[in-house]
Amino acid sequence: MNILEVQNLRVSFPIAGGVFARKIAEVKAVDGVNFELVKGETLGLVGESGCGKSTVGRAIVNILRPMVYGVEISGKIVYRHAAGDVDLASLSRPKMRPFRPDIQMIFQDPYSSLNPRMTVGQIVEEPLRIHTKLPAKERKDRVSWLLGKVGFSREQTNRYPHEFSGGQRQRIGIARALATHPKIVIADEPVSALDVSIQAQVVNLMQDLQEEFDLSYIFIAHDLSVVRHISERIAVMYLGHIVEIGPGALIYKNPLHPYSRALLSAVPRPDPEAAKDRRIRLAGEIPNPIHKPSGCVFRTRCPIAKPSCAEEVPPLEFKENRWVACPWT
Amino acid sequence: MNQDAGTSRPELPPIAEPETATGRPSVSLLRRRLRKFRTLKRGYYSFLLLLAAYALSFLLPLLVNDKALFVRYEGQWYFPLWRYYPAATFNQPTLGEPNYRDLAQTFRQQGGGNWAILPPFPYSPTESLLDLPGSPPHPPSWQHIFGTDDRARDIFARLAYGFNVSLTFSLLVLAISYAIGITVGAFLGYFGGKLDILGQRLIEIWSSLPFLYTIIIVSSIVVPIYIPGRNLVLQPSFWMLILILTVFDWMGITYYVRGEFYREKAKDYVGAAIAMGASDAGIIFRHILPNSLTPVISFAPFLIVGNIGALVALDFLGFGLPAPTPSWGELIGQGMENLTKWWLVFLPLAALFLTLLLIVFIGEAVREAFDPREYSRLR
Repeated sequence: MNILEVQNLRVSFPIAGGVFARKIAEVKAVDGVNFELVKGETLGLVGESGCGKSTVGRAIVNILRPMVYGVEISGKIVYRHAAGDVDLASLSRPKMRPFRPDIQMIFQDPYSSLNPRMTVGQIVEEPLRIHTKLPAKERKDRVSWLLGKVGFSREQTNRYPHEFSGGQRQRIGIARALATHPKIVIADEPVSALDVSIQAQVVNLMQDLQEEFDLSYIFIAHDLSVVRHISERIAVMYLGHIVEIGPGALIYKNPLHPYSRALLSAVPRPDPEAAKDRRIRLAGEIPNPIHKPSGCVFRTRCPIAKPSCAEEVPPLEFKENRWVACPWT
Repeated sequence: MNQDAGTSRPELPPIAEPETATGRPSVSLLRRRLRKFRTLKRGYYSFLLLLAAYALSFLLPLLVNDKALFVRYEGQWYFPLWRYYPAATFNQPTLGEPNYRDLAQTFRQQGGGNWAILPPFPYSPTESLLDLPGSPPHPPSWQHIFGTDDRARDIFARLAYGFNVSLTFSLLVLAISYAIGITVGAFLGYFGGKLDILGQRLIEIWSSLPFLYTIIIVSSIVVPIYIPGRNLVLQPSFWMLILILTVFDWMGITYYVRGEFYREKAKDYVGAAIAMGASDAGIIFRHILPNSLTPVISFAPFLIVGNIGALVALDFLGFGLPAPTPSWGELIGQGMENLTKWWLVFLPLAALFLTLLLIVFIGEAVREAFDPREYSRLR
């Protein structure tokens, strides 16, 4: 059962220039993305930096329009909740408000994502203050309960974020995201800013909370080993397009799209002998997102590109139990 | 999937107590900065001194005044500081307000039950002491420690009251222009886009108006106007000058606040606040503003200096506060006209210099205490 369906999502950021800061170009960060999130699952969204995976996450929690002036969003983000379907992408900020408690986000940078002037308690309390009418006493109780869930003691409620380490701060971010008892949590590279030893803690905590709170995750990452650990299905993105999406185990074992193959071959394996010939090195650089290649965006670096690849964007086709956007596999 | 997850999951380690937990209570960034400010002795003591002097200056009517605090006359109590009594009340042969210094002396000579308590320095800043020997300005003497000005008004009294007037004026201009400037800067930086471009250009145009000329023109238009038939008088007043200065003063801080908001808005905690459904006003004032106050606080002392300077300049040129108001600029102007009278030249300048020096010391310490590099990791 799908809880969220993203249909043909396009996000473009304007590039302003000239005396009156007119739009002179645009970056199509997300260019026609389709996927769905099944209730209770974890969908891993992977791809290299700048491929638009964070933008997809921010579009779903609907914070792009207030944060980036002039951003253009089209397509649908259908949220299926008890009372019916609603297209989040079309909602104005006041209309979005009732759905905000259901869809929350964990941010990548544990330093800039917590307001340095607020105590840990105030940070976690904020969503409750906005969305509930709980009396102060009950709110405080819920805050300490939430912080307890992520491993903090009651005394630490009145501390400031700068008194905690990166991993601890990320747990504060998790507690904040869970405060309103959300159904969907977008985790935007929640562990990439942390040490490897701390990463495991946070990922395991997220998995425990998923069971306890019945959450559906969209787990955005560039670190494939972390995604593999946590997600049932993965979607591979390149330059604003999803190139392959399907069950994680399948894609890991046998990636079909040439980009997925190259990306997965970059995962380090603890076997020096096997590593040498396995690695696929891509030629060239990621194209400038302002001037994307015509047709298949990956064709400029693709080892199996053919002249016809330049003609039209290859659609996702169902092959070997997953969807792939390449006709030659 | 997750073959390794179920079997050997490491337990969540207990969160290590942060270093501040060893007995010391948790401190906010602001507290830390205030603590740092207190260690910067020169600025901190300047601050205490100025604060004490300013607080004391509100009690000036009790300390420096020509009216008696209490009068005991024929078994009755009188409080001239709070009520007006005609001279005839005390059987004094003058019109209007009695001369309480003479009254006290008369009572002393008469002996008996009548007496009057005068403030420690019994001269008013607006009172012309025409009975002094010689012609004004009078040089310093034991009674008039700083001498008198060209209308025989006591300079010490005028400087003391002028201190209160200058600082109050300057703080009010600061408060009003900050309220406007911070709000405008916040909106420009937060909403960005067309509003930002347009707002910035308007501010640039507005700020290129020549301040002094405009004020001189406005002040000379708003001369005392007597409306026939009624007793209304319109003239450049204290509040009017505050308004005029504010109109030119609010722009400076908008640039800094706008920049701070522009930077802070891109940070994830703002994204988180939007994601949890906070309103624009909530985000601007609850989330971003507390993180954007560094330039606001660091500039405040220097802007106060600027405002005092502006008021003194206007008074000096004669476009400032209305006539009998005790003002430093007016005294400095008198010094200019009486260059041979050293007390008229030197003392008002010294008062101005010392006050501005104290504020600049405070400003330096504040700037150092609020240096964002100090805690740059936390920003």
